[in-house]
Amino acid sequence: MEIVTVKVKISDMAILREEGILVTVGLGSCVGIALYDPKNKVGGLAHILLPDSSLFRNRINSLNSAKFADTAIPLLVHEMVKAGAKRRFLKAKIAGGGHLFLFQKSGCSVGEKNVKAVKFLLNKYKIPIKGEDVGGSQGRTMKFYVNSGKVVISTVGGIEKTL
Amino acid sequence: MGEQRIDKTKLDVLKELANIGVGNAVTSLSTMLNEEKINMDVPSARLVLLQDVPELLGGAELPVAGVYIESSGDADLTILFVLPLDSGVNLISTLVPGSNGLFDEMGISVLTEVGNILTTSYLNALSFMTNLLLIPNPPEVAVDMSGAIISTIMAEKYMVEDEVVLLSTALKSMKTRIEGHILIFPDAGALKKIFTLLGIR
Repeated sequence: MEIVTVKVKISDMAILREEGILVTVGLGSCVGIALYDPKNKVGGLAHILLPDSSLFRNRINSLNSAKFADTAIPLLVHEMVKAGAKRRFLKAKIAGGGHLFLFQKSGCSVGEKNVKAVKFLLNKYKIPIKGEDVGGSQGRTMKFYVNSGKVVISTVGGIEKTL
Repeated sequence: MGEQRIDKTKLDVLKELANIGVGNAVTSLSTMLNEEKINMDVPSARLVLLQDVPELLGGAELPVAGVYIESSGDADLTILFVLPLDSGVNLISTLVPGSNGLFDEMGISVLTEVGNILTTSYLNALSFMTNLLLIPNPPEVAVDMSGAIISTIMAEKYMVEDEVVLLSTALKSMKTRIEGHILIFPDAGALKKIFTLLGIR
C-alpha cells in the first residue's frame, strides 16, 4: 500500500488516521505543532504564522483560525477529537520559531513569541510536549509519521533530527 | 487586502511603478558587474494567496540567500532580493575574487551591500515618481530555505490577510551566471498612500 503524504501549507492544518505522513516545509519563525493520540492513531499537524489573533480582530473581518497559535490549537484539538482522538491521550511535538535574520530588532522575535504562545496553550490544554526543536537561527522542515508519532526535522545542509 | 479593493487598474499602476524602480535597480547591478548586460523580466503585480507565497520561488525548501530591507518614512515597503545559493556564490566571487562565497563574513557583507544598493536605487526611483519620502532601513541577510525566509518576513510584518499584493521580477546575468528575484510587499497603508497620491480611488 502506498503511504499517503499530506502537505500542510503555512496557516493551515491537516489530520490523518492510522497511516501516512504530514509534512510542513520551510518553518522559519513559524511553529509546526504535531499532536497525536497513540492509542487511537490519530495525528494532526498545524503550521502557525503568528502567536495571537486578538491583535488583528479589528483589522479584518474574517480571520483564518489556523494562522494563529491561540485559535489553531483549540481548533486542531477539536478536529482531532471529531476524528476519533481522545483529549486525554494527546501528546505534542513542536518545531520552528527560529530567528533567521542576523541582526534582530530589539525585544522578542516573532519566533520566540510563537514558541512561547504554543507552549502556554499546550500547557493550558494539558497536552504534554514530548519533543521539541525550537529557536536557533535555522529554517526547518517537519515530517510527522502518524503511525508511530515520530517527527523528523531537517534543515538546509544539516543532519536530520528525530523527535 | 484588508478592506481595500485592489482591482486590475490598481495592479497595473503598481506594475508600472515596479517597472521603473526595478529598471533602476538592475542598472546599478549592471554597473557593479562592469556594465554586464542583465536581462530582466517585466515585473508582475498580483494578488497572491498568503499560503502560496512561500512556494513561489521554485518551492519552499529551495536553499537561497535573501537580503531583506524595509522602508520607513511615508510608506512601509518590504523588499526582498533572493538568489539561489550558486548565484549568490557567483555574485560574491565576481565582486571579490578569491572570496569564500556565502560561507564567511566577507561574502555575507558583499551580498548585503549589493542588496542595499539594489533596493536603494529602487526606492529612489519610486520616491522620485511619487514624492513619497522612503527611507531604507539597514538590510538583513539570511541563507536558508526560501519558504522559511519568506514566511519569517510575513510574520515580522504581520501579514495576516489571506491575500497579499506582491510585485516580483526575475533578473539574470549571462556571463557571470547570476539569477535572482526581487520581491516587493507593500503594506496596506503604503498602497493607500500611493493610490491617493496618484488620484486613484
